[in-house]
Amino acid sequence: MYELSKKTANPAIPDFFIKKEEYITKIIDFIQKNIPKNKPFSIDIIEPELKIKTLKQLHTKKLLSRTIYNSIHIGTTPEEEKTLKKYTPKAAIIVAFNPKDKSPDGKIEILENGANLTKTGLLEKTKKIGIKKILIDTAAMAPGDNSGAAIAAIPVIKEEYGLPTGCAIHNVVEKTQWLKQFKKEKNTVDASSNINIPLFGGDFAIYGPIKNSEKVFPTIAWQDILISEYTEKYFGTKPDKKHPRRILNKNE
Amino acid sequence: MNKIKTTVIGSYPVKINNQDLIKKYYQQKEINWEKYIKKAVNEQIKAGIDIISDGQTRDPFIQIFTRKLKGCRVRNRTEIIGKIKHHQAITINDQIYVKKLLTKKQKLIALITGPYTLTKSCQDLYYNDEKQIAFDFASALLKEAKKLEKQVDIISIDEPFFSNHMPDYSKELIEKITKNLNTQTRLHICGDVSKIIPEILEIKVDILSHEFKLTPKLLNEFKKYDVNNKICLGSVRSDNQKIETVDEIIKHIQKGIKTFDNKITQIAPDCGLKMLPENVAFQKLKNLVKAGEIING
Repeated sequence: MYELSKKTANPAIPDFFIKKEEYITKIIDFIQKNIPKNKPFSIDIIEPELKIKTLKQLHTKKLLSRTIYNSIHIGTTPEEEKTLKKYTPKAAIIVAFNPKDKSPDGKIEILENGANLTKTGLLEKTKKIGIKKILIDTAAMAPGDNSGAAIAAIPVIKEEYGLPTGCAIHNVVEKTQWLKQFKKEKNTVDASSNINIPLFGGDFAIYGPIKNSEKVFPTIAWQDILISEYTEKYFGTKPDKKHPRRILNKNE
Repeated sequence: MNKIKTTVIGSYPVKINNQDLIKKYYQQKEINWEKYIKKAVNEQIKAGIDIISDGQTRDPFIQIFTRKLKGCRVRNRTEIIGKIKHHQAITINDQIYVKKLLTKKQKLIALITGPYTLTKSCQDLYYNDEKQIAFDFASALLKEAKKLEKQVDIISIDEPFFSNHMPDYSKELIEKITKNLNTQTRLHICGDVSKIIPEILEIKVDILSHEFKLTPKLLNEFKKYDVNNKICLGSVRSDNQKIETVDEIIKHIQKGIKTFDNKITQIAPDCGLKMLPENVAFQKLKNLVKAGEIING
């Protein structure tokens, strides 16, 4: 993944999904041994108790300054919040999931005031914890449940807050039933679904599994170049030296 | 004398399980709100209530409507950003679901937040004309009410803002909805309405509902007027966790009967119960039902 990242000039951050308690130590050990010391990583956990235990271990191993906590959302418990205040990761992803309203407006509502599901908005909650760097995941919903709003919300949320915004649109592909009849092509659809994110101005794509990197990185780089060409011609915005257009398209 | 029915004004406290909701999201499963509605309905049924509501579990009473009306955008307050229009069903699917949970003996009341209350609760970024906003809300609500009247037994319009200020177009505004309906209608105005009773009595609506328990002086105030409407008598407080005894509720109803005689057709809590703990709300309804049974004999 890091090689592909270097080759295509798109930064890469590994996301570690921890499903069971017995995996916490193993995964943290893996991070310590294998992830370069100057690179961030994200910890992706659903169960609040596991999140709490993982935070404690990350603190003990002095890894919190490189941790992107994935994630803070309406299900973040008071105990989890208390632990986050004690062991605060440098960055966190907020999942803008609003079960009442899956539109871009609903996603802003959950960030702003919690839609009466949490006492305060998720942004305020995250800031109060003391997390300095915030990323917004626009919460791609199940197929047929306004899943496209996760893409439409990217420019809306970026405009509103100016925070790095993206989503895991590939999850929708994974759950799309009709794609089952296209077994061979499903993986291509999965990888290429990520193109929607830069197209709508998104800053990060959460994709998986990691073996899809070979398809995802060139796809995103290609899209980045396309956008860069247009924005330079129209707005005069020149890509910096590390942009895929500079690295991959040296002759243009 | 006809039997007095027990009912509710609107919301019922149901704890929403955020953990469950976020798990559904991670599993990429569609969010289903019906279990919360079912809980609110079943609690009312268990307490013995005759005329049941959906419990307004989805949202506060403003957002339930503004979330689904064209021209509205929910932020900290709802913002009006375009012409207000009804373009999709708002509460009808929930009412159809609730109806399936009821026996033939139980009746269903649909709750509509009034156009003036919606107007005063929103931030206008489009009209610059409060009256026009109110009438556009009324038109949109009428469309919803026309769909609701086929499914429910009563439609209640909740206009708490009238107790702060009743604009000179209030009658026309409410009647834009009630005059066009073929089902029973109820107008609920909470707060102290003692100074606006004549204006309220002019509005064409079947049942008037007020906070008679919180503001008992209303019983004396209403005595001064010739009331032709049926009355929903607020009989337990919704702003206070103290559970009224059955005797206390009976005495209150008897006072109400002295003012309104057989015009009292419903007894209810003063207002929505959402702010109360679940066990308190349930016990209040249970005692209300017991008191109603004793009054009815």
